[in-house]
Amino acid sequence: MNAILLLMGLLVLSYLGSFLVGGRTVRGAGLPSGVEYVALGFVLGPQALDLVGGDMLASFEPVVQVALGWLAFSVGLDFGFAGDKRVRVGSLVLATFGALLTGAAVAAAVWFTLRRLHLGLATKEQILLAGGLGAACSETTRHAVRWVVERYDARGPLADRLNEIAHADDLLPLLAIAVLFAFEPTRHVAVKMPLRDWPAITVGLGLLLGAGAALLVRSDLRLEDTWAVLFGVALIAIGATARLSLSTLTAAFFVGLAVSVLSRHGRELRAMVAPTERPVLLPALLLAGAHLDFQASPKLAWIAAAAIGARLVAKIVLGWVLALTSKPARKAGGLVGLSLMSSGALAMSIGLVFALRFPGAVGDTVLVVAALSATVGEFVGPVRLRRALEDAGEIERTAATTPAAPRATA
Amino acid sequence: MSGAAAAARKGVGTHFIHGLLLVGFGALLFYVTRTVPEMHGGLWTITAIGFLLLAGTLLSELLAPLKLPHLTGYLLAGIASGPYVLRLVDEQTVKSLSPVNTLALSLIALAGGAELDLAAMRKSARSLGWAMLVQCVLVLVVITGVFLAARPIIPFARTLTIGPLIGVALLWGALAVTRSPSATLGILSQTRAVGPLATYTLSFVMASDVVVVTLVAAVLGCVRPLIDPAASFALDSFVTLGHELFGSVALGTTLGLVIAAYLRLVNRQMLVVLLVLGFGFSTVLDYLQFDALLTFMVAGFIVRNMSKQGHKFVQYIEQTGTVVYVVFFATAGADLDIPLLRALWPVALLMAGSRAVITWAGSRLAGRIANDPPVLRQWGWTGLVSQAGLAIGLAVLVAREFPAFGTAFRALAIATIAVNEMIGPVLFKLALDRNGETKRTESPSFASMRPPPMEG
Repeated sequence: MNAILLLMGLLVLSYLGSFLVGGRTVRGAGLPSGVEYVALGFVLGPQALDLVGGDMLASFEPVVQVALGWLAFSVGLDFGFAGDKRVRVGSLVLATFGALLTGAAVAAAVWFTLRRLHLGLATKEQILLAGGLGAACSETTRHAVRWVVERYDARGPLADRLNEIAHADDLLPLLAIAVLFAFEPTRHVAVKMPLRDWPAITVGLGLLLGAGAALLVRSDLRLEDTWAVLFGVALIAIGATARLSLSTLTAAFFVGLAVSVLSRHGRELRAMVAPTERPVLLPALLLAGAHLDFQASPKLAWIAAAAIGARLVAKIVLGWVLALTSKPARKAGGLVGLSLMSSGALAMSIGLVFALRFPGAVGDTVLVVAALSATVGEFVGPVRLRRALEDAGEIERTAATTPAAPRATA
Repeated sequence: MSGAAAAARKGVGTHFIHGLLLVGFGALLFYVTRTVPEMHGGLWTITAIGFLLLAGTLLSELLAPLKLPHLTGYLLAGIASGPYVLRLVDEQTVKSLSPVNTLALSLIALAGGAELDLAAMRKSARSLGWAMLVQCVLVLVVITGVFLAARPIIPFARTLTIGPLIGVALLWGALAVTRSPSATLGILSQTRAVGPLATYTLSFVMASDVVVVTLVAAVLGCVRPLIDPAASFALDSFVTLGHELFGSVALGTTLGLVIAAYLRLVNRQMLVVLLVLGFGFSTVLDYLQFDALLTFMVAGFIVRNMSKQGHKFVQYIEQTGTVVYVVFFATAGADLDIPLLRALWPVALLMAGSRAVITWAGSRLAGRIANDPPVLRQWGWTGLVSQAGLAIGLAVLVAREFPAFGTAFRALAIATIAVNEMIGPVLFKLALDRNGETKRTESPSFASMRPPPMEG
């Protein structure tokens, strides 16, 4: 397959993706994590049919970086908002706690597994692998709750709370990868500075560029110029951070966050950018799938089991904490936390940037485990969420067996 | 509201902030490129797109109070960022931006074709016909004469004997006949001008593409025996030309009908469709050796005149095209060889100046013969001064076909085109402003937001 054919394929996928958000809700069309596109990418990729070869994947790396950066920008723009509503402080705290708990649990489990497996990795590589998996496994995809809620027409405080948590847990994993990227020496950078400064520079750069963009869109720009400013600033953030070997995802996320917070047109900007997310996401997931290499590590199964197991446990614990603060969550039972098992776009993005930044055992293992975690989450998350909402009385039991009739876009 | 009025409304404070931010973004990239000088490749190309997009947009806003066209701002942003000034975008990156140019040219041609109204063209057929004839003949003949007369100050022409000199002069004359559809569309897209001057210029420039392609093939066939005594006059090039023209028209017609059907039946995700056309279809045309500009122009023309989808189509292209135009012209600015222009500017200025004068004279003459309205007689020439990609393409072709003097010929051509590229859009915008054709409502502001392009 040549590059133009691949590009056309990606554009077609993007076209299909845009249809998924165009007319109706995401409900019923694809899985919330989009893991089926990862699987398709794997089948087409060098490890299976080899229709998309390694050289071609390398030539598409810049496109992937930009796509992932744009997704992070979109996540930043939407951070702390569930639909049009601002996420409550309680949900924000819970989401941050959940991400910290899950990330720490996964990182610790992987760290101890690596110590026992004696894989011959250097300490720095072990830190990168454990930290990377912690970051990739800590989030809950924003689409998961919405997918179930809209599919079964759920209404109620538990659905709202879970939706808000899913929309507010992206900050910590993105900060974590900014820190982890600082571990790898930035070979080409002439300026040398302490490790702790690089994450601060990543965040600062994102915030500064975002503030600049917010100032620009503050004036009465033409619509086309607004797009030019958003694209322009996002691409500058992605390129500048990539050139400095910093985390493009983190910088782009903070650009989006700063624009969202500082611009008086935040709502309109979110409405503008949101429809671009799915069309960018699907090709990125496909390319992520093509990058999957199940030979990444001889003990991959153990590492994956440790990461996914720790994630399950952490989510259950998060559910208990949630139950302490919320009566509907108590009604939903002790496994309510498993409702937040779905991971997707951000997890795969983190996996893929790790695979690109740390090619070899570390990066490839993070990507593969992120994909496996998303797959397991797909089997557990939506099912448990539906059950929890039924138990909380927010879905009619009869409705649970049959998806609700189509409803207009939220 | 005109761009200048909108700019005035924004106030000095806003412009000051925009200026500061532009300097800030530039300083950041300057620092990054100096701190990490090695990075090349796709990602920096995409970053360059981002910066050119932003810098072009901001600079065009900053220049709006001077009533300069946005296009000039885009070009200046490109020149400033390019390899000869700040080096934020290096030569390799500029070269790797060629896919964006392909996309931009396809959109420009589609938009150009879709703006051509058959009924309006029929009404002005007499005027267009005379203008085309007079402009082509007069510019070809007079500019050939100017080149011959200027021989002593043109370095590579001094050594030529009379036969090859006439051949090269004819090639230069043919090059002078080319116009710039992209600059015309760029100005019209920004100003949304409506009126006889806008319609006339657009029709002329788009139709001249076909004439120029034919004329160049004829001139190339004729001058070859003059330049290379071993070569003989051959009709082969006309066979190839016929294949190219008819193939392009046929494929363009088919494509236009398909687009019209799509707009009628599906009418969604035009951004992705335009991207597929710009990248994928252009590759197919390249493989078939058809003229992409002509194919897309015919497709746009068919959508406009053979279906009811024309206005919708133009709207879609305007939504996505503006962003692409910024990058296209900023890249053109970054690609300008400033040292070359500095070395050749006296000759380039003479050539560009004489071309502008003869274009003016031709416009007056054709206007008198065709009994054009005063606005066309007085201002019709202003839209015909710009030159850009088409002329550069021709210069590259000459350089390839005639290696003995081709490189020097191309250098002078590029310097002259640079002058025309800078002056032409300013003249055309001035003429449109003077004649009140830019008074139509401006494009929607952010406050009156429409659905984003991806939704469309």
